[in-house]
Amino acid sequence: MLITNKVGITGMGIVSSIGNDIPSFSNSLKTGKSGIKKATILKEPKISVDLSARIEDFSFVDSIDYVQGISEDKYQHAKRLGRRAPFVIQTSIVSALEAWFNARLHYNKPLPERIGVIVAGQNSTQNYQYDLISKFMKNPEYLSPRYALEFLETNQVGVLSELFGIEGEGFVVGGASATGNVGVIKGYQLVKSGLVDVCLVVGVVADLSPMDIQGFINIGAMGGKKFIDQPERACRPFDKKHEGFIYGQASACVILESETSASKREVPFLAEIKGYSFNIDSNSSANPNINGEAKAMLSAMNQAKISSSDIDYINTHGSSSPLGDKTEVEAITKIFKKDIMNLRLNSTKGLTGHCLYSAGVVETIATVEQMRNGFLHPNKNLETPISNELQFCGGKYVDYQIDIALSNSFGFGGINTSIVLKKR
Amino acid sequence: MSKEHVLEVVKNVIIEVLPDLDSNQIQIEKSLKELGANSIDRMEVVTMSMEELNMKIPLMSFAHASNIQGLVDVLIENYVTSVQS
Repeated sequence: MLITNKVGITGMGIVSSIGNDIPSFSNSLKTGKSGIKKATILKEPKISVDLSARIEDFSFVDSIDYVQGISEDKYQHAKRLGRRAPFVIQTSIVSALEAWFNARLHYNKPLPERIGVIVAGQNSTQNYQYDLISKFMKNPEYLSPRYALEFLETNQVGVLSELFGIEGEGFVVGGASATGNVGVIKGYQLVKSGLVDVCLVVGVVADLSPMDIQGFINIGAMGGKKFIDQPERACRPFDKKHEGFIYGQASACVILESETSASKREVPFLAEIKGYSFNIDSNSSANPNINGEAKAMLSAMNQAKISSSDIDYINTHGSSSPLGDKTEVEAITKIFKKDIMNLRLNSTKGLTGHCLYSAGVVETIATVEQMRNGFLHPNKNLETPISNELQFCGGKYVDYQIDIALSNSFGFGGINTSIVLKKR
Repeated sequence: MSKEHVLEVVKNVIIEVLPDLDSNQIQIEKSLKELGANSIDRMEVVTMSMEELNMKIPLMSFAHASNIQGLVDVLIENYVTSVQS
């Protein structure tokens, strides 16, 4: 297949702990607002770490009221599809609606079969199931027949495709903490190869059950112990006092589109996706790998036909995990060498927590917003960096022009991804 | 258990499953399909009504209920046996 067409982002939407639409999320990035708090709703059994960056006070009906430019038809349809759906689906609908309208697809849409949908999110019904278990144990007969639809992740594909009239390819991808990047990469491939003109990529909320959280604590991945009484200080990417990730929630959506389609519709690229890399370490464990991470960044640059001197900024994976942060610093130092002088870095997770499945999409959006608005958001809580060679953004935002950026995401099971974004 | 009570329970469940309806649209001779319920909505109305009434009967019992009247009748017929068993 002849590959000539450029692929870019023409729409974005988000529901997160630091903003329920793109303008408020972007403003929170700039001011360095943290979404991390002590949990207010406690389930049984109580678990030792209750710090997280949750989406709070979410009302589905109010949120779709708020999505600007929504037509009455779409409003009623979205309401019908989402009003009684689980929280994860409701937030996906809201972020997708914002992105859809942002890309002006509501009045100028390609043929349904030329649009694809990718749901980036694995195990997205864990907490929904956890909440149903006690009732089910008593009265299995009263389980909602809707459960058979809703426990399948592909339900999101069904809901979103029905809402937006999508008839191209539609599927779910998983890649642990790199799931969002895997979604963006698969969407890029669909558009680049000409299978679709437009692809909606939604990173879903990681709605963890108490059991999932306890699992992350027991495997030693989760932080939040040292700063249990100072939630905002608990997530510390690349700081010597980092001790593991802090869980965050966000649903984030990007619309990927071919340049031909976007120019035909007279919709601008918010940023271009220049290339990507996706490799695995042949490793079933949780540990990161310098070579795998370096290879991801290098081959993403190769695919984009650029060199390390062209990169102005990296949105790091930076999860605040001691081994993860150290490995990423070593991988970056190894491949950037002298170009490190011109490179700036930060981690969005210091503000949003680790949004797991949607993290890659959240951070693509964070990168594009910093690119478009000429700033770097603070690298929250970086007091004593683990590396003095790399130039991390400090506690305050700085004015900075990004032309080309990398956005990294790495996941358990040796999953390494990197995306190259270019300003438009 | 009175027929009025069962009908009231079923009506409330229908409104919960189909929030766009208002209660005067729900007339006993209408079918759930006419009210806009798809097959899963209809199954849900049955399951939730049984739960509200605290009874358990096989879903097959409702196979011949063609409208809300039929649904209410099956619930009443089975109420006594279900509660006793």
